[in-house]
Amino acid sequence: MFFAQLQNELWKLFGKKRTYIGFGAFVLVQSVMLLMFKYTRWQIHFERLLSGNGYLASDYISALTVAVVMLSPQVLLLLPLYVALVGGDQVAKEAEDGTLRMILSRPISRLRLLLVKWFAGIIFCAALVLSLGAIALGFARLLFPWKGMFVFAPLLSTFSIFPAGDGLALFVFSHLFIIMNAITLLSVAFMLSCFNMKPAAATILALSYLFVNMVMQHIPFFEQYQNWFITHHFECWLLVFQNPAPWPQILQSEIILLAISTTAFVIGAMVFQVRDIKS
Amino acid sequence: MIQLSRVNKRFGQRLAVEELTLTVPRGEIFGLLGHNGAGKSTAIGMMLGQVWPTGGEVKVCGHDVTMQRARALQKVGAIFEAPAFYDYLSGQRNLEILSHYSAPTTRARIREVVDWVGLTGREQSKVKTYSHGMRARLALAQALLPQPELLILDEPGNGLDPEGIAEMRRTIGRLHRELGLTILLSSHQLSEVEQLCTRIAVLNQGRKVFEGQVAEVKAARGRVTLRTPDFAAATACLRERGIITGVVDGKFIELSEGRTTAEVAKALVEAGLSVEGIWQQEQTLEDFYLNVVKAAAPPNPH
Repeated sequence: MFFAQLQNELWKLFGKKRTYIGFGAFVLVQSVMLLMFKYTRWQIHFERLLSGNGYLASDYISALTVAVVMLSPQVLLLLPLYVALVGGDQVAKEAEDGTLRMILSRPISRLRLLLVKWFAGIIFCAALVLSLGAIALGFARLLFPWKGMFVFAPLLSTFSIFPAGDGLALFVFSHLFIIMNAITLLSVAFMLSCFNMKPAAATILALSYLFVNMVMQHIPFFEQYQNWFITHHFECWLLVFQNPAPWPQILQSEIILLAISTTAFVIGAMVFQVRDIKS
Repeated sequence: MIQLSRVNKRFGQRLAVEELTLTVPRGEIFGLLGHNGAGKSTAIGMMLGQVWPTGGEVKVCGHDVTMQRARALQKVGAIFEAPAFYDYLSGQRNLEILSHYSAPTTRARIREVVDWVGLTGREQSKVKTYSHGMRARLALAQALLPQPELLILDEPGNGLDPEGIAEMRRTIGRLHRELGLTILLSSHQLSEVEQLCTRIAVLNQGRKVFEGQVAEVKAARGRVTLRTPDFAAATACLRERGIITGVVDGKFIELSEGRTTAEVAKALVEAGLSVEGIWQQEQTLEDFYLNVVKAAAPPNPH
């Protein structure tokens, strides 16, 4: 029964046009970024960086390198936006439209309903992130050769090169961590959606939480408090490309993100449980 | 089927339902009357476990809704004013989605219900293409899918045109006759309630001000219309003889207990006053409702 309900929740989610805004935006933004990388000084800057460190640039300006370059800003800005949009909608939009009242005239428990919705949201996150990665790599491959991978993230002190095979494996593996980022922000938006508020308000509040974290993380005063910022843990997917990867730090961040997601769900469920659903 | 015992519901400072005690027996069409904001939807929300009571006990199908909501609602269908659906999905998909919140439902059962409500041939169309009447039928279909024993209808006629209202009325009658459902009908359309319900309760400002049989209400003696050239002299004469207790709107009289219209005519003729007409008004539910609500209203300080 749970799976039938989950399947129906997915029908509801993927039947809506607005669910695909994120997928469409990724295609558009990645096309623009790809052309910028190919035809502006961006690529020259990368070539200089590589040759300055003793590498042959032509071996590492590849589809994999460009895919990671394209992913970085999108994981930070676009992905949270579309995930928060869906998460903020999940309960609040149904309450606003009146369908929640129809559902809650059925003998389904509120907790079960939220669980089904949350799992559907998690599946959406995975689909969105995997599409993001596949589109990035697919588009990059159209204009760049299949060669070694170069990853450069100065704030994380990451400067790594990998052969194409290893690079692809790490690229795929890093998506697990991006999915976790997406789930965390979705859970925050989902929690807010369980309160008596408009879907847009839930989305905006979730994004505000993200941006406040992002800003505070970069204020020197908070240098010692990085673990308190969700955006600090969102950087894990880039740490995977460090050589060697700081696994204890990655594990700690993932546990914190998991804890935030679970806590957000529990708070949302508690609020939803005691809420009066009226027309 | 439904039992509310001293139920209260408070939203902040406002008491939406106060000490509401109500019983809807099996097999009845029960009307819940009241103006907007009288507490009907809140009471229904509490019956469906959507609104948590502040105090009291709500039982549906013998189970406490607060403690055993899933059991209580197992055999309950509900339709709300302006039924909401996933407009971007087909009618069939909507029914599948909603029915799976109750129990696994076969496609054959969905087909059967779609046929019963008269939506066959349109079930694969997206709901956004449905007319208001078709949406009402889809709402009925979703309510019937779990093979309910109790149907709760919250203002089902709102927004329907006269033809739609007549169809809804016929359908409710069919549900009661053919499927033997117990029906709770909340409405402020008094003619609907009068034609359909066997028993009613009237809510006013969250409090129940009346509960009884519709037949009883209609049988109750109403006002008497008196046509005479000198209404003031006639009523003064009747008052003096203790035949009437009051006068309403300058043309109606209220008879004292045990008095008849024949006695009115006789008294007026004896007093030398001519009588052009005198007849008993049959009390409509509307008259009754307005009287009950008026009587329950707090006195105006001005």
